[in-house]
Amino acid sequence: MRSGTFKESYAGLIVLTDSGWVWFWSIALLLLMAVMPFAVNAYVLSLQTLVLITMTGALGLNLLTGLTGLISLGHVGFLVLGAYAYAVLVVKHHLPPLAGFAAAGIVPALFSIIVGLPSLRLRGLYLAITTLAFSYIINSVILEARSITDGARGIAVLRPEMLGLDFSSDQAFALLCLFVATVTLLACLNIRRSRVGRAFMAIRDNDIAARAMGINLQRFKLYAFMTSAFITGIAGALMGIYLSFVSVEGFPFLYSIEALAILIVGGLGSSLGVVLGTLLIVLLPEAVRILFGHLGSGLESMLSTGVHEVKSMLYGVVIILFLRFEPRGLVGVWHDAKRLWVHWPLRY
Amino acid sequence: VLAELIASGIAIGAIYGLVAMGFAFVYKATGLVNFAQGEMTMLVAYIAWTIATSISANPFIVAAGAIAAAVLIGLLIERVIMRPMLGEPIFSSVLVTVALAVILRSSITLIWDAYPHGFDLAGGKSIIRFGGAGLRGAQVAAIVTLLAATVAFYLFFRFSRIGVAMRAVALDDRTALLMGISASRVHAVAWAASSIIAGFAGVLFAMIYDLSPAMFQLGLKAFPATILGGLDSVVGSGFGGVLVGLVENLAGGYGGSGLKDVAGFIMIIIILMVRPFGLFGEREVLRV
Repeated sequence: MRSGTFKESYAGLIVLTDSGWVWFWSIALLLLMAVMPFAVNAYVLSLQTLVLITMTGALGLNLLTGLTGLISLGHVGFLVLGAYAYAVLVVKHHLPPLAGFAAAGIVPALFSIIVGLPSLRLRGLYLAITTLAFSYIINSVILEARSITDGARGIAVLRPEMLGLDFSSDQAFALLCLFVATVTLLACLNIRRSRVGRAFMAIRDNDIAARAMGINLQRFKLYAFMTSAFITGIAGALMGIYLSFVSVEGFPFLYSIEALAILIVGGLGSSLGVVLGTLLIVLLPEAVRILFGHLGSGLESMLSTGVHEVKSMLYGVVIILFLRFEPRGLVGVWHDAKRLWVHWPLRY
Repeated sequence: VLAELIASGIAIGAIYGLVAMGFAFVYKATGLVNFAQGEMTMLVAYIAWTIATSISANPFIVAAGAIAAAVLIGLLIERVIMRPMLGEPIFSSVLVTVALAVILRSSITLIWDAYPHGFDLAGGKSIIRFGGAGLRGAQVAAIVTLLAATVAFYLFFRFSRIGVAMRAVALDDRTALLMGISASRVHAVAWAASSIIAGFAGVLFAMIYDLSPAMFQLGLKAFPATILGGLDSVVGSGFGGVLVGLVENLAGGYGGSGLKDVAGFIMIIIILMVRPFGLFGEREVLRV
């Protein structure tokens, strides 16, 4: 039986993982994901791409809601800003895609300062309402600023070509998404073990105690907003390219709910949770579709006419069930399973 | 034009005010913001419409059916979904209402359909003139309902047994429990009452405009009203609604429809920056 682990230095406490096997399986998974685009059909490939993009966006929200404890119901606003920043610069002004991606991160980050400022005074519910209001204001501003954004007409976006690489094929684009998602995941894991990440978690657990310990609340709350908006904006740009069309309707409010569902299902504040939650939430509608396909055609026809509705209902039900029966999320289930595996047949 | 804008602004504001009262009612009793308020409004309106078109268009039968449905919905939500969440962090409970909102919204589209329906009941569309401005019957009814609800709630909180109990729970639920007040009954009454007010607002709104799945936005529009009036002030929320309706209509009349849609949201942000506890709400004092 394995004994407990003992750490002899602070560096040992905050290391990403002390297990060689975790590294081994992570790299194996990464390689599998990199090979997958060339081995599967177009439908599975598009699902894989969607999972990777969604994961990036949810990691962004996790920094704010999971790590810092600031609830945002308006993250879809940052998503749509990122998508528009990329589309406007690259399609309308013919800038290089790399600049477009940079803008897709920076523009939402700048806007997030505006949303973040009220958050310095507000807590909990009030902040949720402010961010919700913000996402509607953003939509309205984009529709009104016709000279910049083409208003309700939307912008068609092509697959980019950058750094001498051509991402126009589905496989290449999936690899680009894999790259971005991996980098984001690593960044989030490392933010967590840095000074800034510890400050975020201190604010989440007790902001008054955090301030007493010398954490500048204003500064770190704004940092949280900016990094979160930056990441979500990049995910928005990828989403726009994936849909090959950027419009306000393409980014419904449902995305905010979907991201929250991912965090809750996975386990708030945990990057592993985001990965597990994304897999479950994105693949759940597909699983239900397959299940209904076996059950009968009546249900299947309802599913095809009301995809959006069935999806939202599933998200709602999953959120309620997890909050009620497993508030720690899939990460909690995973930890229990691990403990069971190591200690069986003992309970502890 | 100004008189018209003001009159219809007050009318739509009255409806916002009713929905906002529903928010405040639940918040006062349970400390939660019910993000599904707009959806409950919409659900009751759809049920009332179904009664009116398939059973009887007699306004009294429709009203009785709608109130019964609203009470049932409120109690059901409280008992099945919200009560098991007691004792969990506020964050979780509020997210449950967000999830509930999504579920209700999509089930309405699945059960009924996604198209707008006209809803005419007992001359709700006939025009009544006041000086320079004409109002529809249902708009007048909305203003009258708001006034009646304001008076009724003032008396309710002031004199009725359960109203006083509700204030006690809002003030300090633990002490209230020690005094022998059943907090879960107070919660049940709050949910049922907020569902009834929401139902009234929904039916009136559907009569003035149309019945459509976009009606849930009424809940979003009522947020500024509750926040302006103070989240914990039921009567203040009604007043906040009228103010928001007026501002929105004037902004729409003079600044275009884009501004009209977001006027309320811009108001939220300004109010929260300046006076987060609202005009009539109690200032929240934070002690460590």
